[in-house]
Amino acid sequence: MKSIEIEFRPNRRKVLTAALSIGVASMLPGFALAASDGVPAALAFDGDTILLARGGLFVSDNGGRTWTAAETPGKVLSLATHRDRPGLVVAGLAEGGVSISEDGGASWRIFEARLPDGEITAVAIASRNPDMIYASLRGDGLWKSEDAGATWSLAMDRPWLDDAERDPLALASVELETGMGGIWIYAGTEVGLTRVPDCFCRWQDVQPGNAMDALVAGEAPPSEAPLPGGEPILSLASAPSAPEVMYAALPSGLWASQDGGVIWQKRASKAATAVAVHPRDETYIAALLGGILKISRDGGATWIETGEQ
Amino acid sequence: MPMNKGPKDRSAKCTVRRSVHLAALVSALATTGVVVLAQSEPVDPRVEGLTFLGEPVLASQVMAGQQLYADNCASCHGASLEGQPDWRRRLDTGRMPAPPHDDSGHTWHHSDRMLFQITKGGVGAVVPGYESDMPAFGEDLTDAEIAAILVYIKSTWPERQREFQAEVSANDTGG
Repeated sequence: MKSIEIEFRPNRRKVLTAALSIGVASMLPGFALAASDGVPAALAFDGDTILLARGGLFVSDNGGRTWTAAETPGKVLSLATHRDRPGLVVAGLAEGGVSISEDGGASWRIFEARLPDGEITAVAIASRNPDMIYASLRGDGLWKSEDAGATWSLAMDRPWLDDAERDPLALASVELETGMGGIWIYAGTEVGLTRVPDCFCRWQDVQPGNAMDALVAGEAPPSEAPLPGGEPILSLASAPSAPEVMYAALPSGLWASQDGGVIWQKRASKAATAVAVHPRDETYIAALLGGILKISRDGGATWIETGEQ
Repeated sequence: MPMNKGPKDRSAKCTVRRSVHLAALVSALATTGVVVLAQSEPVDPRVEGLTFLGEPVLASQVMAGQQLYADNCASCHGASLEGQPDWRRRLDTGRMPAPPHDDSGHTWHHSDRMLFQITKGGVGAVVPGYESDMPAFGEDLTDAEIAAILVYIKSTWPERQREFQAEVSANDTGG
C-alpha cells in the first residue's frame, strides 16, 4: 500500500496563490481546526469525478491519478454535490456566501449578498431535493435555500453542546427517515456530532432508532459507540447509495458507521481533515489523511495512493 | 249480471291489496325514519377531515381544546399560535423559545402520538436529555384534555398541513 502526498507544481502563480491562501486562512477563526497541514480542505464526488478544494480547486476524472486545476469561486471551505444532478457543485466560502456551479466547477455563479456576512463553515444539499441547500454561517446559525441559492432564510440556530452554541464545521443530509415526514441533517461541530430533522424542530443527539421506544418502555437503551468526545468533526459524508453508511474526519482519524452514526469504528489513524463518498458505491471513499489524499475502495479497510496533483 | 269472480280476479285483488299494504308500510317506515333521523341528529358533529390517534374528532373537543389552549399554552405559544418572537434563535439560557403551532412552525411534522407524548411528558419524553422550558402537562391535565388541546391546534391548520400530518401519524408505528 503506497501513498503519495498531493503536491502543487511549483510555478510562480501557484506559489503566490498558495502563499496568499495560507495567509488568509491563518487569519480565520476555524483555521486551527480546518486541516492538520494548515490549509482548509474539502472533498466531494461529482459522479465519478473527485473535487478537491485545498488552496485552490482541483478536479480528477480518473480516481485521483491526475488532477486539473479548476476555476475557484473563492476560498472554499466546504463542498457539496448531488447524485441526481451531475455537475451541481455548491461551495461555501471563507469570505462569505455560497457559490454554485452547474458544470462540475468549470464556472460559478457568484451570488450577491443573499446571506448575511460571515464565513460559511459547511454546506450540504438535501438528499431528496437538489434545489434545497443548507449553509452554516459561523457565529450565526443554519440557513436554507429552497430555490437553489436564489433566496435564503434562517432555518435553525446553532446546536447547543457542552453548554455553548457550536458552529457546524460539517453538514450532511442523511436520507434516513426521521418519523416526521422528512430526513435528518447531521452536523459535525468542534465538540461532537449532532443532528436535526429537516423540519428543524430541535438539534438532538444521534441515537438508535428504537431508543424512544426503549425510553417509553423503561428498558435499557440500545448500545452505542459514539465518536470520540471533545474532538472537532471536520468533515462528514453519508453514502447516497446506502445512507446509513457514514464517514467522519477527525483529528484522531477517519471513522465509519454502518448504522446512521450510532456505532462508529476507526478506519484510519492519521488525522483526517476531509472525506467524501462516491454517489453509487458506499465503499468508495476519498479522504485527506495526514494531509495526503488517499482512496479506499473497501470502506476504509485499505487505502491506495493517488496521483500527483 | 254479476261478474264471474274466478281465481284470476281474486289473485288480482290480493295483489292490489298487498300493494296498498306495502305502500302504507313504506310510508309509515319513511315517516318513522324521518322522525327517528330528526331525533338522532348529532348534537356534537364530527369535524370533517380531522382525526386524533385514529379516532374522529368532535366539535365539542375542539371547543374545549381552544379554551384549554388559552389557559395553558397561549402564554408561551401565543394566543394565535404564533409562537414566541424570533423563535428560531436560542435564548440566553441556551434553550429554544416556544415555537409556533400554526402552519409556520414544525408542529405539523409530528405524529399524533409524539405530540401527545411531548405535551404529557415534556420534550424529554421523546428526546432524552433535551432541556426545554416547556413543562410536562401530565400532572395538570388529563389525557382527554391534552387530546382536546391538540385537536384544537390541528383544527387550525390548512389542508396541506393536515394531510401531511395525517400521513406522518399513519406512518408512526412506534406504538
